[in-house]
Amino acid sequence: MLAEDKNWSNRLFNTVNYSLLTLVSLITIIPFVYIVSMSFASPEEVAKGGLLLFPSKFTFGAYKYIFSTDTMVRSILISIYITVLGTLINLLLTSFTAYPLAKATLRGRRTILLMVLITMLFSGGLIPTYFVVKAFGMINTYWSLMIPTAISAFNLIVLKNFFQQIPDSLVDSAKIDGCNDLGILFRIVLPLSMPAMATFGLFYAVGHWNTFFNAVMYMNDAEKFPVQVILRQIVLLSQDQIGNTTSQQDPTDYLPQTIRMASIVVATVPIVLVYPFLQKHFAKGVLLGSVKG
Amino acid sequence: MVSKRFITLVSLLTTVSALAGCAGEKSSPTAQQDNTPLQVTIATPQIGEAPKKGSEVEQAIEKYTNSKIDFQWIPSAAFEDKKNIMIASNEMPKAFKITSNATTLSAIQSGLFWEIGPLLKDYKNLSGANAMYYDNLKVDGKLYSLPLYRDIGRAGITYRKDWFDGLGLKTPVTLDDWYNLMKTIAEKDPDKNGQNDSYGMFLEKSYNDPVASSSYLTRLAVSQGAPNKWGLEGGKVIAEFMTKPYLDSMKLLRRLYQEKLINQDFSVVQAADADNKWNAGKVGIRINTVASAGATSQDNLKKAVPNGVVDIAPYMGPSGNRVPAEPGNNGFFVFPKSSVKSEAELKRLLGFFDKLMDPEMSTLLTRGIEGKHFTKTDDGKAQFKDLTLFNLEVKPYRDSLPSFEVTGTGLPLKLSDLQAKGWKVIADNLKNVVPNVALTMNSKTYSEKGGELDTLIRDAQTKFIMGKIDEEGWQAEVEKWRKAGGDKVIEEYTAEYSKQKK
Repeated sequence: MLAEDKNWSNRLFNTVNYSLLTLVSLITIIPFVYIVSMSFASPEEVAKGGLLLFPSKFTFGAYKYIFSTDTMVRSILISIYITVLGTLINLLLTSFTAYPLAKATLRGRRTILLMVLITMLFSGGLIPTYFVVKAFGMINTYWSLMIPTAISAFNLIVLKNFFQQIPDSLVDSAKIDGCNDLGILFRIVLPLSMPAMATFGLFYAVGHWNTFFNAVMYMNDAEKFPVQVILRQIVLLSQDQIGNTTSQQDPTDYLPQTIRMASIVVATVPIVLVYPFLQKHFAKGVLLGSVKG
Repeated sequence: MVSKRFITLVSLLTTVSALAGCAGEKSSPTAQQDNTPLQVTIATPQIGEAPKKGSEVEQAIEKYTNSKIDFQWIPSAAFEDKKNIMIASNEMPKAFKITSNATTLSAIQSGLFWEIGPLLKDYKNLSGANAMYYDNLKVDGKLYSLPLYRDIGRAGITYRKDWFDGLGLKTPVTLDDWYNLMKTIAEKDPDKNGQNDSYGMFLEKSYNDPVASSSYLTRLAVSQGAPNKWGLEGGKVIAEFMTKPYLDSMKLLRRLYQEKLINQDFSVVQAADADNKWNAGKVGIRINTVASAGATSQDNLKKAVPNGVVDIAPYMGPSGNRVPAEPGNNGFFVFPKSSVKSEAELKRLLGFFDKLMDPEMSTLLTRGIEGKHFTKTDDGKAQFKDLTLFNLEVKPYRDSLPSFEVTGTGLPLKLSDLQAKGWKVIADNLKNVVPNVALTMNSKTYSEKGGELDTLIRDAQTKFIMGKIDEEGWQAEVEKWRKAGGDKVIEEYTAEYSKQKK
């Protein structure tokens, strides 16, 4: 009888659990499906309104429009460049800083950590930061998007803690084998930290891919804008008609909505594609250690 | 006030600390009357896609005006921040297209830009424009900016003629007309789909925008005799919502809301969603749009309702056609003293803008290049050949440089009947516009806490319409507004008004 009871409550728990999880995943997935199907739908179907999860007829008009000029392609290439190079810089500089800070033997370690911590709580503000970037001659260069954000204080501290969990005995034995600090970092510590590196790499990469504000502030040349800036511009496309005297309507058969949706798809898919490759590292969690017995 | 002091401080700092890394190109003062091409750097909000540097249109402008142009397109989503940073770091172009707001005003008042008022008379096109355009831009009685001209009386009623004809309705004049219209459309199922899903109008959240004269409630109230944002009563400047016609218009909306004749979620609806409702053929009167957009409304509707018919009518009231005057510009150019080094250079720059309004340039900016973007019809009018191409290659310039699209000196445009009707409404409106008496006035109290005051009144209006407060409650809110600084704003505006009148 007891077993039956347990069975029953178990089943109830599972049912509730699964339905809740299904609901949550639907809530996450449906908007995305909606966006994708809107981007392929015909203007007539979109004009009717309502929730559209599968268009009755696929059209590529919106995509054709987006790629009718080289702006989108160029901005995606720029974003890829910033993301790849920027993430490399992030990972290198963050681990270079985190590694010595993880050593109790480093002199002034507390002071340095405190200084890092302060930047998490207070920022310099927009205009002073702009002056710093300008003083380094980075205005209107891609460096302005990669260098000022090279180290995130939060990621640095988490990575430092991660490094601290690596047993000292491992490091010591490497030392005995004749390894110097750089060797230890590259041959022992970093390989052991792949889950952490993958996770932070993804955090940084998504950050670079989503760069919008800094790009607008530091870039003067419209041809150097990354994809999010272009995307924002397109999304705003049909929203500023009030200040517009246009008495002529574009006769082509797409709607601003479908173009918006298509550009969201185009700007999101590349970074979404990165996730599956890092999934296995994610499963282990961000804050968990790597050394597991 | 804080930002003004801040900007002055920062610009001072910049000069002192000689952070002049990027000033190299600006330092050659070619001020004399010479024939070297004029260097024009222009920063402007980006419209659509940024055209390529040295595009065909740019080259044509450079050739005609003997200049070398460098456009800096700033994405509109972050324009204000970028503007503030450019002003604070003194990195400004020779001509800067900005819009009116508190930071702009304090930058102008702190003397960052050249005054151009006295110079305008030397330029035939600039001085030929209606004085109202310039009057609306004056700061402390002086003109610092060159407008991107926009029509002043743009309001018009865009409506579904097929519905109106089918139900035997006429365009509204009195508030009772508006009520009957909304009731009939909501209840008689004009689209004959058997569902109770059509609205006389679909209200959206900017219906009572505190600043824009183009907001729906202001348009409605003005047609009924209310002032445009700020009016006069017995020599005193008063706010629109203190007048009876405005209260009556609010009461109309309240009644419509209570009887569920307008959308119940109006206080949160985005403008784009309201447009979609219209496009889907669910709405009888399109609000917050302009007369010239009638043809666009027709095209948008066609996609979902192929046999829908759209028409345009002027806003009418018991005393005839009365519409709020809009500022008459879509932003304006200012000329920073830090980049335009001498008055001679300023004069050449103004000459550049003057030339842009010559017939040749006007045609280029508003119609494009003949054979490529437009063709000439037999009766000597321009007809667009490839609008997609025009929107891509010419529109960014048209929307960023001074021009008159339909009433300008360019080649006349071949208009459809609906377009021509829309433009006629706009032209007729101009004779009957109600100006905002406080448009160019400054009130210290308003610049300090205008935002708060506006929000207070906006919220009270929405509450009143939704029936959460009654008329007494509304009057109490107005009283609260007056005590919170409204009375002071009125006092300051009135003082300035009587000073100007002398």
